[in-house]
Parts: sequence; structure tokens; C-alpha cells
Amino acid sequence: MAIHIQSGKTKACHNTQLKIQYMPFKIAADSEANVSSYFDKYVKLKEDSNYNASFRGYPLTGKKIDIPDGYKGVILHERIKPVTDKDDRNFYVINEFNSFMYWNWDKVPSKNDPILQTIDDWFDIAEALHSPIIEQ
Amino acid sequence: MANINSNDIEINSLEMLNEFLSATDNSENAFYISSVPEICKTSPCVLGIDEAGRGPVLGPMVYGTSFCPVEKSEILKKLECADSKDLTEEKRDVIFSNILNSLDTVGWAVEVISPNTICNNMLKRAKYSLNAVSMDSAIGLIRAAEAAGVNIEHIYVDTVGKPEKYQAYLLSIFPQYKITVAKKADSTYPIVSAASICAKVTRDHALQIWKFQEGLDLTHKDFGSGYPGDPVTKKFLAEYCDLVFGFPQLVRFSWSTASNVLDKAAYHVEWEDPEEEKSEIPADTTSITSFFKVVPPKSLHTKKRKRHEYFTQRCLSNQVEF
Repeated sequence: MAIHIQSGKTKACHNTQLKIQYMPFKIAADSEANVSSYFDKYVKLKEDSNYNASFRGYPLTGKKIDIPDGYKGVILHERIKPVTDKDDRNFYVINEFNSFMYWNWDKVPSKNDPILQTIDDWFDIAEALHSPIIEQ
Repeated sequence: MANINSNDIEINSLEMLNEFLSATDNSENAFYISSVPEICKTSPCVLGIDEAGRGPVLGPMVYGTSFCPVEKSEILKKLECADSKDLTEEKRDVIFSNILNSLDTVGWAVEVISPNTICNNMLKRAKYSLNAVSMDSAIGLIRAAEAAGVNIEHIYVDTVGKPEKYQAYLLSIFPQYKITVAKKADSTYPIVSAASICAKVTRDHALQIWKFQEGLDLTHKDFGSGYPGDPVTKKFLAEYCDLVFGFPQLVRFSWSTASNVLDKAAYHVEWEDPEEEKSEIPADTTSITSFFKVVPPKSLHTKKRKRHEYFTQRCLSNQVEF
């Protein structure tokens, strides 16, 4: 199985205003959502520089995460789902972002959250693994 | 004395009550306390506490208090605060206006607990029950009256749950006062009737002037009383159910009336289960009886080597192919 990420042909609009919300639940839908009326209006900055919001009555605590320099966030779309594990997979970059809101259900986002650990640690590992070795 | 009101509006009429409510963010709690009459600072006072809007699926729950000197308590009967039950909304407005016209003798305070606060509390990881919210609000009202200089002698409270237990709890916090917690205190004690009127009128008006931050152009006639049996409320819940977000924040999501509609009509949502992460027994736990069993030595060696937790915690796994 190989994974191909295509970004050339599709016009990936680099939209810095794009707001990504990383939500702590799964929703059985792939559709548009009225985020500005039902969600954004209730997002409030707290004194500890985290954010509060609600989704269907559940209290959420969020943090704005900046993608480190030299990296960028991409949103991928897979047009055809693979039938077997061995099929090649094609993903298309449909959007890019450089920050996102990470939300937890009633828990302050911290290094206990896998995705935040990944951003803090994995990037260092990747750099160590993939940087050219400079002989001293 | 610090100003603990949400803003500097002095509520001396129903119009000013509306103005106060309009100026607050209806997704958050609001607090108002009237100025304390001089006589309430010198003479011993009775203080009543009651709530409005505990049951409905819509709108805020309001906790109210009123207080006046024991020696002047006959004024409450003159204001018609004898029995707040079975009063029409109009009649309650009249009595509330009477109270506002007697602010040289009677003082009052309300806490408006927003529907969003109610469901956020009930849907926390460690649930904070409506009873706990209610008791804390009552305690907050007593503290606010204390801080404003009211010379409290006797506190009368309409009960939440069992009166004996609640009374003992309040006495443990405020041992310096006489405290009476009773069922139907609003029809027994005029000072509780007055508190009940303040709470009910505030809730009525909060719903009348409700502005949907979601931008829906609806009035209280379109969403009804909020009581689960009200056909207008039922229709509202059915018609204004957003597939993704559910309802506007007027609605208490944690009420079964609301969650039943969501289960049927909106997209299914799955939250992580907070119990799951804790109650699980680690996979390598050995039961105590296993030490007495004969285990073929081979199985000890074929056990898969565990990855270091540095990798498992970061969801990192081996990836050979690209």
C-alpha cells in the first residue's frame, strides 16, 4: 500500500482566515455546519488564555495551537475509498492552515492530549531523523 | 462596599428590569441586588429565598431573595405577597412593581442562571447536579445580602429535596442565623412569596426579551412556556433542531425532552467515555489465582514485547512502507 498526497493540480486556496476546530467527539455526518451562528458566538477567552465554548450543552475547553515554523497544516480529501488494505490511496490537499483550535470536553488541553504531544515532540524527532547529517 | 451588580442599572420599574436583562449576555449568569434600605442594616431582618424555572426545558433558572425588617413585615401583606401560587403573569408584575415601590423598606436580589450554565454543569465529566447548583445559588444570595450589610436574623428557604437535610446543610454554613427550610414555603411565609415573585418575574421577563444569539427571529410566543407538556414548546423543539448543533442555547440540552428530540432528529454524536479510561484493568494484570496454576513455560516467552510508553502515548507506531 502506498499513500499519495496530491497538491499540484487542485487549487489549494491558501486561506489564512480558515478556522479549524478540532472537536472532542465523532459526528456521523459530513456536511456544512452553521459554525458562525451556533458556535463562534459563544467562544469566550478565559483569564488563563484558554477558551470556553459549548457543543450541545457539553462544556468545552480549548486552546489555539499554532503550527510551528517550517510546517503547515493541510486538509486532505480522499475521493475514492480503498477497497482492501493493499490498495494505493490518493489524498488531495483541499485546504491549508497554520493554526487551529483544539477543544477538549471539560478538560484543559495539555501534554496529556496525544495530538499536542505529537506537535511538541514528533516534530523534533522528525527533524532529527530527516535532517541531513553534517559532519563536524 | 464594592458594586457586585453586573452593571450599574438601578431596577426601579419593569422597564428597568428589561433593560438590565437585555444588557446581560444570556449565555452567562447574571446577578442583581437592590440597594439595601438603611432600616435593613439596623433592624433585624427576615430573608426569604425561592427559585423559578427549575423544571422547564427552556430559559434560565432564577434564584431570588427578598428581605425586610421583622418589625415591618406586615408591609408584605400590604404588597399582596401573601401567596404567590396561582397568580397570573400580569398579577405577578403588579406585585413586583409594588415591591419596587417599597425599596425604602424591602430589598431584593436575583441570580439568573443561564440555560447554558445549567447544561454545562450537568454535562461535566464530574456531574454538578441541579440541586447542587441550586444550593450554591441560595448560599450566594445569602452571602451577597450579608456583604451588602443586611442585618439578617431569620432565613426562610423553599426546599430543594428533603427539607431537614437542606436545613442542616445551610446551618452548617451559617450557624449564626435562624434558618427554616420548608416545603411550599412560598405560600407559608410572605417573605418567601416576595422572593418567589422576584424570581418568577425575572424569569418571565428574561424569556419575553430573549434575543437568540444564533440569529433566530422568534419571540416567547413562538417557543412557549418551556414546560415539557406545552405543545408550543414541543413544536419549537421539533422545528428548530439544527442537524449539527442541536438547539439554540435557550434550550437546556440536558433535559430528556430536548435530548430525545436530538436522538431522533440530529446527527449522531459520540463522546469519549470518561469511565472507560479509568475502569479498564491494565492488560498485563495477572489474577492472583493464576499463581497456583501450572503454566507451560513457553507462553511466557512468546509474549509480545511491549513498546515503550513514549511511543504509545504519542500514538506512534512502526511504519515501514511509504
